Amino acid sequence: MSNCNHELAAGVARRDFIKASAMAAAAAVASGSTYSLPILAAEPNEKIQWDKAPCRFCGTGCHVQVGVSKGKVVAVAGDMNAEVNKGLLCVKGYHVGSALYGKDRLTKPLLRDGEGYREISWDQAIQTIADRIEAAPERFAFYGSGQWTIPEGYAAQKFMKGGLSNNHIDPNARLCMASAVTGFLATYGVDEPAGCYDDLDACDVLIMWGNNPAEMHPVLFSRVVDRRSRGEEIMLIDISTRRTRTTEACQHYLEMKGHGDLAIANGIAHLLIKNGTYNRKFVESFCNFKAPDDENPNLNGKSISFEDYKQALAPYTPEYVEKLSGVPADKIRMLADLFGKPELKITSLWCMGVNQHTRGTAMNALIHGIHLLSGHFGTPGDAPTSLTGQPSACGTVREVGTLAHALPGGRVVANEVHRQQAEEFWNLPVGRINPQPGFHTVEMWQSFCTPTDQGGTIGTIWVQVTNPGQTLPNLNKLFNPKGDNKAGLEDKFLIVSDVYPTATTKLADLILPSAMWVEKNGVVGNSERRTQQWFKMVDPPGEARDDCWQTIAVARELFDRGNQGMRDRDGQFIFEIKDENQQSVAIWDWNHYYDVNVDKHLFEEYRQFSRLKHKDLAPYDQYVQARGLRWPVVEKDGQWKETHLRFSEGYDPYVEPGSEIQFYHSTTGDDRAQIWYHPWIAPAETPDEDYPLMLTTGRVLEHWHSGSMTRRIPELSRAMPGGYLEISAEDATVYDLRNGDEVLVESRRGSLVIPVWIDGRGRPPRGTVFIPFFDETLLVNDLTLDAFDPFSKQPDYKKTAVRIRKA
Amino acid sequence: MIASVVAILEPDCSPRAVLEDITQIPGAEIGDFTQSPRRIPITIDSHDPNALEETTLKLQQCPGVAFVDVVFVHFEDESPGLVRSVQQESHTG
Repeated sequence: MSNCNHELAAGVARRDFIKASAMAAAAAVASGSTYSLPILAAEPNEKIQWDKAPCRFCGTGCHVQVGVSKGKVVAVAGDMNAEVNKGLLCVKGYHVGSALYGKDRLTKPLLRDGEGYREISWDQAIQTIADRIEAAPERFAFYGSGQWTIPEGYAAQKFMKGGLSNNHIDPNARLCMASAVTGFLATYGVDEPAGCYDDLDACDVLIMWGNNPAEMHPVLFSRVVDRRSRGEEIMLIDISTRRTRTTEACQHYLEMKGHGDLAIANGIAHLLIKNGTYNRKFVESFCNFKAPDDENPNLNGKSISFEDYKQALAPYTPEYVEKLSGVPADKIRMLADLFGKPELKITSLWCMGVNQHTRGTAMNALIHGIHLLSGHFGTPGDAPTSLTGQPSACGTVREVGTLAHALPGGRVVANEVHRQQAEEFWNLPVGRINPQPGFHTVEMWQSFCTPTDQGGTIGTIWVQVTNPGQTLPNLNKLFNPKGDNKAGLEDKFLIVSDVYPTATTKLADLILPSAMWVEKNGVVGNSERRTQQWFKMVDPPGEARDDCWQTIAVARELFDRGNQGMRDRDGQFIFEIKDENQQSVAIWDWNHYYDVNVDKHLFEEYRQFSRLKHKDLAPYDQYVQARGLRWPVVEKDGQWKETHLRFSEGYDPYVEPGSEIQFYHSTTGDDRAQIWYHPWIAPAETPDEDYPLMLTTGRVLEHWHSGSMTRRIPELSRAMPGGYLEISAEDATVYDLRNGDEVLVESRRGSLVIPVWIDGRGRPPRGTVFIPFFDETLLVNDLTLDAFDPFSKQPDYKKTAVRIRKA
Repeated sequence: MIASVVAILEPDCSPRAVLEDITQIPGAEIGDFTQSPRRIPITIDSHDPNALEETTLKLQQCPGVAFVDVVFVHFEDESPGLVRSVQQESHTG
């Protein structure tokens, strides 16, 4: 046989082997058998090394097995050992490996030089940042992310609040789940869901509130669809402002107007009381009632009686709710009837539809309230569960507390005891942490885009792992002025750490190339309280480096310059790490960063913070062995046990025996949760004669958030190449539009020319249009408004009044 | 590019009819589903990355298919590149 034929034969044999392996994996998943995917590497000449990692993209937290050969990721597979996805992945997940290999990866630090950039060394880059901070530390801000790993966010948090005494640190998660946080706090006194994904396997009714999991959390939705395919009866109800792929799988579609959800929730509660079908025992044993305190608005509100609550709900008859929401009265009765049946198991899911809402805190609290009022809480399948959009919105933002008002482990800067605890854990001098909350996201960027002589106090922002130039609302106010030479912002300085050029790097003064996903160690926390760990598997390209290293290197530069904030109370560097021989390791020097596992050291330090709110984390090494563990994770009989259901006896280790249900962080100090009344209030902007259409925004299956990773994956980009305006056939006729026509879309804040897709991926009703936000060439956030929820400070991206005309 | 997926069938559909549709899709090969007749393992073999996406979409659109989950993908032979629509100006001055 010639060499050529021999190679051809070997190639065919190898392809056959891969194909057989692929089929074996699919057959194993289909049959539900236990199966270990690393056998895929069993071919004698196949030198693929397999290791586990959570997917890089959404907040579901699917585990993938990552195949590495010759220093490159060459394959991914669903991880059968992962409870979250049981071997399955969505279309984004199976392309996650390709996200590393777009051809325009950032590989060198770049400093703005006139209209262009010049390459600089890392030393110069670190010194440049240190210069900016040293010149005006109080004018420096850090804008982070729910894609920060837990150690990255923790390092940034400690650097800012513990080192610089500066609380101007906030994450992009302010834009996606801050209202979920305030909803949990207002109801239970502590953040994050009581239930978990297991509820999807146990519920009889699944209600999706403004949520499209078929596209946004497809693996979770497939768990439910799979149950139906096995013959189980499960009722799916979609409450939404437009039809989506989720609608197609649901038995009931309740189409509502924007803010109709507030009325629907009140309507359900009204009927439960009127019909006497609320769970009296549960309510009397475990709940109080609350209403907003209009004179002194705060998350604790004012206490009201059951009678007050009943009176407040009295107007919300099914007919009145129909008028407010557009949902037929008989459907409101149907929802109330379902909640009134104790024998059913009901799970609610929500995500951005409820959170990106100027009444987001209220709406979150109302969903919890319905579950509490009806007693659909605390047993498998009975759960109000909010989902997150980013892989560590929970782990890094909500738990590490990288918000402008927060400290790790559910603490807040305004609380003296919390500050003292943090100073103790960090070994800092007493009083180091500033008690004044910093700027939240909208404030931070508004200040940055306001000239200094007009009160714009923020002078420098360092952005890591996010793309605010595309995702902030009202970009013409909160970001675009930075690029306007006449805006008077010449003294402002934008630093961006990222892996690809983005809408944000376009206006950056300093660009830092970052490592991503399995190019570095990581720990993240998903939507169901699951903490997940992975190890670095491949090197980042060029001079790209870990975000965590970047933060520590700047801290060390400041330390070396004599900055007292970078010293602890013993004069040691605040990120001092010692090796097994108790020798200090120069982790600020990239050549030594991986001499120790920095993630492990930071995680073990952070773990101390987790006990206060009973969000106990296990030692780092436990996560190395597991496909994630759901907190609280407590040691019992030498084993580290995770928790499926919080606040419920028999599941939650912190519930006292005999309590049945115990809300042990109750804001009223009596182990009770709060059932809130909140009135229906109109959206911040509604269509009128000048702007007659309601614009809503969101994601699509193929692209993750701003598309900076998924648009570089050819298969995904070709499947969904660009942004579009989705419009109903009826409205298209009114505006004389055909598929592909370009329209000028205008809001009171900006305009956009974009092609039309009539009854596209989703189907909006008359009067509503939809534009996804993944396309950086068509920035829908030039149009959106920056009105935000008064408690969570989260903006509403779902309700913008616009007008259109053929371009 | 080689991938494998699991097609989950609607409870009220005829598996035989769905399987007949799937067999008409080029590159798709059905595996053993006797243990779970409404969860069909399928491999997709393609030298063209676009075809993989198209085949997945065709599977999803087959009448009676409720959902398609991806289990495995091997893309070693592919060289993912920057899509033209997001190509940007050089950032070096």
